[in-house]
Amino acid sequence: MEYSLRLIPLLPFAGAALLFFFGRALRRDWAHIFATLAIAGSCLASAYAFFSALPEAREAGGLHDLVWTWMSSDSLKLDLGLRMDALSGVMCLIITFIGTLIHVYSIGYMSHEKDYARFFSYLNLFCGAMLVLVLGDSLPVLFIGWEGVGLCSYLLIGFWYQDKANADAGKKAFITNRIGDFGFLMGMFLLFEATGSLNIPDILALAQAKSPTLLMTIWSQPKAFWAALFLFIGATGKSAQVPLYVWLPDAMAGPTPVSALIHAATMVTAGVYMVARMGALYLLSPPAMAIVTLVGAFTALFAAIIGFAQNDFKKVLAYSTVSQLGFMFVGVGTSSFGTGIFHLLTHAFFKAGLFLCAGSVMHAMSGSGDITKMGGLRKLVPWTHGVFLVCLLAIIGAPLFSGFFSKDSIISAALATEIYGPDLAWVGKLAGVMLFVAALGTAFYMSRLYFLVFSGPCRADEETRRHIHESPPEMVAPLVLLAVGAALSGYLGFPGGLFDGTSLHIPNLLAEWLEPSVGHELHVSHLVEGGTMGASSVLAFAGLGLAWVFYGGGYREPVKKFAAAVPGVVSLVRDKFRVDELYGFLIIRPIRALSRGLFLVVDRILIDRILVGFPVMVVDVFGRLARSFQPGDAQRYVAVFAIGIAAVFYMITRPPKPEEIKVKVDHFAVDADAGQGLGGQDLRYFFDFDGDGVFDRSGPSPTAHFSYEGNGTYNINVVVQDPKWGTIRNLKTKVTVR
Amino acid sequence: MPTFNYLILSFILFLIGTTGVILRRNALIVLMSIELQLNAGNLAFLAFARALGDQKGNVFTFFVIALAAAEAAVGLAILVGIFRTRQTVNLDEVTLMKR
Amino acid sequence: MNDGAPPITAELVVFVILAAGTIGGALMTITRRNPVTAVMSLVATFFALAGIYATINAHFVAILQILVYAGAIMVLFIFVVMILNRDEVQLFSFKGILTRVIGVVAAGYVSYLGAWVVWDQRAMPNPTGALLRGGLTDPPVGYGTVAGVGSSLFREFVFPFEAISLLLLVAIVGGLIVSRSQHQTDMAEGRARHIRDIQAQSHPEIKLLPDGRPADDDGHAAAGHH
Repeated sequence: MEYSLRLIPLLPFAGAALLFFFGRALRRDWAHIFATLAIAGSCLASAYAFFSALPEAREAGGLHDLVWTWMSSDSLKLDLGLRMDALSGVMCLIITFIGTLIHVYSIGYMSHEKDYARFFSYLNLFCGAMLVLVLGDSLPVLFIGWEGVGLCSYLLIGFWYQDKANADAGKKAFITNRIGDFGFLMGMFLLFEATGSLNIPDILALAQAKSPTLLMTIWSQPKAFWAALFLFIGATGKSAQVPLYVWLPDAMAGPTPVSALIHAATMVTAGVYMVARMGALYLLSPPAMAIVTLVGAFTALFAAIIGFAQNDFKKVLAYSTVSQLGFMFVGVGTSSFGTGIFHLLTHAFFKAGLFLCAGSVMHAMSGSGDITKMGGLRKLVPWTHGVFLVCLLAIIGAPLFSGFFSKDSIISAALATEIYGPDLAWVGKLAGVMLFVAALGTAFYMSRLYFLVFSGPCRADEETRRHIHESPPEMVAPLVLLAVGAALSGYLGFPGGLFDGTSLHIPNLLAEWLEPSVGHELHVSHLVEGGTMGASSVLAFAGLGLAWVFYGGGYREPVKKFAAAVPGVVSLVRDKFRVDELYGFLIIRPIRALSRGLFLVVDRILIDRILVGFPVMVVDVFGRLARSFQPGDAQRYVAVFAIGIAAVFYMITRPPKPEEIKVKVDHFAVDADAGQGLGGQDLRYFFDFDGDGVFDRSGPSPTAHFSYEGNGTYNINVVVQDPKWGTIRNLKTKVTVR
Repeated sequence: MPTFNYLILSFILFLIGTTGVILRRNALIVLMSIELQLNAGNLAFLAFARALGDQKGNVFTFFVIALAAAEAAVGLAILVGIFRTRQTVNLDEVTLMKR
Repeated sequence: MNDGAPPITAELVVFVILAAGTIGGALMTITRRNPVTAVMSLVATFFALAGIYATINAHFVAILQILVYAGAIMVLFIFVVMILNRDEVQLFSFKGILTRVIGVVAAGYVSYLGAWVVWDQRAMPNPTGALLRGGLTDPPVGYGTVAGVGSSLFREFVFPFEAISLLLLVAIVGGLIVSRSQHQTDMAEGRARHIRDIQAQSHPEIKLLPDGRPADDDGHAAAGHH
């Protein structure tokens, strides 16, 4: 169905452009009004499309808007097309709704900021790019959005670029992303080579039909496997999985609204979206799905452990994001794409809420995020505390909150899936177990954060304590909305099968909605479902309890003893397992050394000396040569004059051309040919055949005939004369006659 | 006397004059060599005029002598002027060019 | 190519002596360090040349050569040489010696070519050869005499004659101006300015342009009435 979808990304782009070029001229209010209106307008447009047109259209492939035909050649037909189907519709709503909330929040949070308009411009630009990403109809369009959000991430992380650390963090994000993007490009190329098209519906159709081109093997794996793998590498970069997650914690250097929007709700979920979108492709290759699942599970666990020992509010949340993204990837990796998207949705709400609470708390603490110096904020920032508590319960998976439903559907899907085939069946089970442990960890570190910040006595100094205040309404309102979402969004994806057939049956709205796009939801048995729910609830409260033991009301005895007992372990975890240092050693240092080497050799020697020096030398030589013709010395001019005249005289009077005589002997008769002169020369030839000095033949013809009387050897002498100047040439040869 | 004798003498004189112009450093000598060249030309004119029996060659020679006088006068005046400022008539030292 | 050696006549002997003198004098001129010597040898060369002109029936030109060339021009040279009399330390100029030597060689080649062409052609039956062999018959009456040259000069060549006199005038004036001292130049310019001022005073209604020409009211040069 044709539909004008272009408005959805266009409004934020327009807002970004307006604010970028004219932002400084505008009054402050106008800046945020334009930006917020733009994103809100986009939200309305998405909602309109979603609720009015999409329900009928999603069976038929969704709403389609062909904006522009990019190139159309024999082998490649590329269009700039937007498509909203069930999956991208959900994403649009999430992006625009949470985006609007965060714009509103930023009005308050960034109110002291000098570069106000620039911030909102970038924020709008990001939203526009993300919308292009999810609405993209073909892989290149998706990639445009992919790169666009990477760029905006760089711009926004390094927003306060005057501080080098921030700029470095921005660079790190962009470069790490770029590495992933390389993988994405490889995947794209492979898909194009295998299917001949870059259009997503086409590729998916071919995948669903199990097209042989996709199943052709390279190195004993089908092309689908390699394509899926490379695309996933891109996803690890964008969605901060192992090994390319290292940029996300550093990205906390940016303003908190940025962290909330980009690094919690939208950009980092692009990888999950991409895998869900290309679901049919992944289904063709169980090994690829296994890899996705294992990487996700490992990341979830790994990041959770690092979160145990972080002392910066936002850093804890950053690692939490990494961990939760791992959960999402397990979800899509088990072929239950709907569960991954479900967790994406709930996570967007509660993580954004958590980040905005962080902003609120940091705002209250005069900009500091150090939790070792917080505490007791429960009474001092009540609204923030309330929202944080709701989001905390959501994220740890307390029953009836949203995280409970989404996390559990993932874990149960992992345990129940049979997608990997008999050889790799252990993958799902292993992932499920790892996720249980990660869930326990999540509960622990999040509760730790809660207790250290909000409970017990305040550990801040006098100065800071005096300034603690609740945030203004424009910051609190979005917080509350997000808390509501965190609490209730779980009911959108109420697991089917539970309370089946009873009056309490709540349908799994989300799964039903997404079905045309991502396929059937995985069927999980009641046993597994119920068991998972029970186990995860127990683990959630266990984690909470453990945290209370260690940190309830501040740093308690047990944690101090623990820290004293194994200081090495604690510092290792706090240093994030020194992964950054490892990368620095393995990758950065060799690259630096290589650059230095290249600089010394190529730049200094090759380019500067040879490539630059050589032309310089040539020019110098020719310059000198040219200069020598104009010495200003009149006597030399006369000399050259004389040389010129000599040359001319020679050219006029030089001897005739013939070099040799050709002689044909026929018994006693001889034909001599002395050759022609230059064109236009009238020459006279004198032939002396018998060597007696008397010319036997003469005339203008170069050939002469002679008959000898007796045999013997004769000297033939030919004189060629130019009668005009008198120049002559003598040619001699011998001939023997019998 | 056959003409060609005089012509060959003319060529030789011209060669000597050119050598003087090209090789000498003293500007005075250079001017004198130029006079030599002019005279060589005069000789050629006269030889051919004699061979053809035509007076025109003599008239031309007259003009050449007059011209040579004028040129020598002005040239020497310039030379004196240069000498006043540069205190030398050495062509190598009088030049303003670099190197 | 059919003649043997030419017969030895008195004419030939005189020619050879005079030619030797000419060439010797010329060589001396270009090879002397002392400019005075060079000038003197040039004078000698001119005398010898005058003799050669005489043998070739160009009497008027021969006298002219002695009067004007050897008499006037060379005297001028001698004056200048006396003013600037310095011995040369270094005979030849070595600047750009390569170009110069090649130039001399080229000039020598040109002379050689010319001489060779002349030598070769003199035996030819064509008109050039005839020309080159000419000069053996008596010239027309009045050839080379003052009257003969004069009649040619004032009839056919009167215009170049007048032009030459103009040229000589220019040369005289030019020579005067070029050799003025700074003091003399200043005096001359002062006198010119003075005259211009007087003109302006006596005819104030005539405006003067910056270079002294009178101008119309709208600034153009006057049509010429006074």
